[in-house]
Amino acid sequence: MSILNIGTRALLANQLALQTAGNNVANVNTPGYSRQSVLLQSVEGAFSGAGYYGNGVNAATVLRSHDEFLTRQAALTSSIAAADGKRLEQLKQLEDLFPGGTSGLGAAVSDMLNAFSDVVNAPTDLPSRAVVLSRADEMAARFRTTAGNLVSLQQGIQSELRVTAGNINSLAARIAQANEQIISTNGSGHEPNQLLDQRDQLIRELNALVQTTSIPADDGTVGIFLAGSQPLVLGRNAATVAITGDAFGDPAKANLSISRNGQTALIDEANLGGGAIAGLLRFQNVDLVDAGNLIGRMALALGTRINEQQRLGLDQSGAPGGDLFALGPTPAGLPAAANTGGASVQLAIQTTPTSGSTALAASDYEMAFSGATTGTIRRVLDGQTVAFNSVPVLIDGLSLQVTGAPAAGDRFLITPMRNAALSIDTTFSSPRSLAVASPVAATAGSTNQGTLTLQGLLPQRADANLTQTVSLTFTGPGSFNVTGTGTGDPVGVAFTPGQAISFNGWSLTLKGNPKAGDTYTVAANAFPNTSAGNAEAMLALRDLAMFDGAAVTDGYAGLMSSIGVRVQSAGFSAGISQSIASNVETDRASVAGVNLDEEAAKLLQFQQAYQASAKILQVSQTMFDTMIRSLGL
Amino acid sequence: MRIATANTYDNALEQLYKRQSDLSTQQERVSTGQRVNRPSDDPAAAAQAERVMTRLNRIDVDQRALESQRAALATAESALGEATALVQGARDLAISAVNGGYSARDRTTVANQIANLRDQLFALSNRTDSNGVSLFGGLGSSGAPFADTTPGVSFQATAGQRAATATALPGAMDGQAIWMDVPTGNGVFKVSLGAANTGTAWTDAGSVVTPSAQTGDNYSLNFTVVNGVATYDVVDSTTAATVATAQPYVDGAPIQFDGLSVIVHGAPANGDTVAVAPSVQTNIFKVLDDAIANIGNAAGDNKLAQSVTLALVEIDASLERLQSARSQAGDWLNRADSITTRQSAKSLSLEGDRSRAVDLDMAKGISDFNKFQTGYQAALQSYAQIQKLSLFNFIN
Repeated sequence: MSILNIGTRALLANQLALQTAGNNVANVNTPGYSRQSVLLQSVEGAFSGAGYYGNGVNAATVLRSHDEFLTRQAALTSSIAAADGKRLEQLKQLEDLFPGGTSGLGAAVSDMLNAFSDVVNAPTDLPSRAVVLSRADEMAARFRTTAGNLVSLQQGIQSELRVTAGNINSLAARIAQANEQIISTNGSGHEPNQLLDQRDQLIRELNALVQTTSIPADDGTVGIFLAGSQPLVLGRNAATVAITGDAFGDPAKANLSISRNGQTALIDEANLGGGAIAGLLRFQNVDLVDAGNLIGRMALALGTRINEQQRLGLDQSGAPGGDLFALGPTPAGLPAAANTGGASVQLAIQTTPTSGSTALAASDYEMAFSGATTGTIRRVLDGQTVAFNSVPVLIDGLSLQVTGAPAAGDRFLITPMRNAALSIDTTFSSPRSLAVASPVAATAGSTNQGTLTLQGLLPQRADANLTQTVSLTFTGPGSFNVTGTGTGDPVGVAFTPGQAISFNGWSLTLKGNPKAGDTYTVAANAFPNTSAGNAEAMLALRDLAMFDGAAVTDGYAGLMSSIGVRVQSAGFSAGISQSIASNVETDRASVAGVNLDEEAAKLLQFQQAYQASAKILQVSQTMFDTMIRSLGL
Repeated sequence: MRIATANTYDNALEQLYKRQSDLSTQQERVSTGQRVNRPSDDPAAAAQAERVMTRLNRIDVDQRALESQRAALATAESALGEATALVQGARDLAISAVNGGYSARDRTTVANQIANLRDQLFALSNRTDSNGVSLFGGLGSSGAPFADTTPGVSFQATAGQRAATATALPGAMDGQAIWMDVPTGNGVFKVSLGAANTGTAWTDAGSVVTPSAQTGDNYSLNFTVVNGVATYDVVDSTTAATVATAQPYVDGAPIQFDGLSVIVHGAPANGDTVAVAPSVQTNIFKVLDDAIANIGNAAGDNKLAQSVTLALVEIDASLERLQSARSQAGDWLNRADSITTRQSAKSLSLEGDRSRAVDLDMAKGISDFNKFQTGYQAALQSYAQIQKLSLFNFIN
């Protein structure tokens, strides 16, 4: 009765094949599902005198279609795409915080300085001064709003980082669990397809959060490693990750750390590779810090320079002006946790020989001591390192003072630009306190014969001899002698019309041609309540090269475009990595995914085979009937 | 190649999203009219637009300041015009004072008229602009720059003239140079009659004939009249050297020495002197004050003739100062027009720069929009079409 057996087996095998095809159709949209197929084998034939006759078909096992390499590639590329996508998403939010045009910070800065123009034309007009103050207030408010928005963006990222770390931990635990279940199926001789699919899917989900390396073990488990070498899952054990501060405890930065068996290790953000968490960390530690430094530098440099100018001038009562802006305390250097010395680092902006406000760089600094007063300092922005062998250390307009004794190997993180934009505010609201008058005034000799005219006399820096009387006596059209305390009384100084003559902290520009005997005298201002000399100096600040050589009023354009460039290039990389990821995913899916038309064809194919197998049974029945009938039973 | 059904749906959807986002980006561009809506669209262009904005603001502010400077200078110019007319009037009155038919009382009337003009002139010198800033305050003043005190008018502001720049004009003129810098006499030297003169000699204002021979010393012309014959000595009173002795005096003939020439009219008495002194600085008000003092209640004698002659040259020098200042103001006003023209041309070109950097070429923008729209429509339709195709539709 082998034909009956053949029929029965065929019926069974085709039924399994139909069931598998059905299962494929059912799981067409299941994430991570790999297409399955039944492995059919023909049963070994029985020997008869007329040769080996086949004994039908057997369903050996059910296989999942999957390509190890493509699965790994798909996880890796999607991981990089996730990092780039996440960073782009955050950068776009950052970009929205720096609008251009009239509502932007740049317009506020330029409006504030331009407001001094009306004061110059009407020095005694209090409303014009009040306009300056309200513009200054508006500018400070925009700085604070922008810096405040950066802080809330950072807070949002911190909480997203913690949630992501939690998700990584739960996925790692589930992968460990899947490993355990897979071990328990060892010995059945068949692949636990559903469990394997499930674990692959977990690994894919994990890679979307953080890039991992998976290394299969002999027992069927998979080891998962972070940053190439830190084990996250080994067999049935999972380590935990957490978000921690950096080596200096800088609140603006974060790092991923991994704990295993009570040992905690920091993972350098640069080694993380892909995954959303890498994108978030990169954005927070680099992009956000840079943006904060850019706007902080702008507030600090501008506020400091305007305060300096304001202190040079005289207010309406003839008294020296006070600071217009409060800039908050300058942050002290952050000591590394591993420091052994008891030193601390304070910083200030250089005031001599010229104001450091125009030399500031939008960067943090890392200071490493090799001795009490020696070591190196690294500008984080461009990685440039310079050695120092005395304190205070002068760099980029900053003066870093060291108190206490640092031990060799001690390190400090200097964050000069952190507070200024967040805390900038005007310190007074009385227009009379605005120091628009110059402390010095120029007078032409009353018997001058030449055509000398005054283009400007600006007080530029604090000087003990600022208001000393200084006389210039021309000896001809091209030279003059100087007398006055603090000048050194030079004779025969060359005169070029339109070129500034500077002594004692002021700068005098004369035009025209002098005749021999003509004089010009610079002395303390006799009419401070009608003078606007310092307001002119404020107007002149508009063209001061302050932000890496860009003029004050152009500083914001540079800031905005540097963030724009970042977003643009992040957009390009996100686009590229997204398209690579989706191509690899298509390749992977073409091997592992379900095609409904294929399954339809298979259903038809196996349905027909099933029907044909049933026919075999019918034929065997007929054969049996024929035999019985011929026997006449 | 086999294609996974779920993956085709994912990819198709992704394409749809992309088309949709292209379309919406283009829609934003068309509706704002800008190609660059955020810095990342084109960082360089966005920065340029931002810089153009601050430059345009600067031009607005400069123009606003220029308008106020222009108004101040226009006021100053008209004040100088009025001043010229007043001084001209004073000159005419001074000439009329030597009229032989006038009595001393008539001359007092003339002097009073000049005094009236002089007071109006003083008021002009302290005129202010609409912001209360003195028009003639020079480099700075506290309140009125001119004070009319007992010894005469003094300048209490800071002397000196501000320069015009490429975008701005000075808001005030140098009162010292305009009102307070008039030379006495003919500008080089001043000729005056000895206070004790008894003759009828009077002189002209004198002139320079050989500039290189000038010494800048004081001189005295001493007349000696013996038996009706007049001779004169010329003594350099600075060095006490005698320059010429016993020269015969001829009425109306020029007397020349050390490059100078003085014409003496009338009949000097024995012991009469004429002093020649280098010119010093005086001011418009002092010139008029002296004229008022000399004309008031004066007899029509040689002293009146002498003082009126002197007053006229000094008034002419004052007029020359006022007119040159007025033409300077007029020149600045012209310059204001050319600055305005230049600034508006500049702002136009800046606006062009901005527009080229960030504005959307509307024709291209709309054509792109249509292209994206067609693309999106095609994607939607083909998705719907393909989605209907399945082998299952044919199995029954």
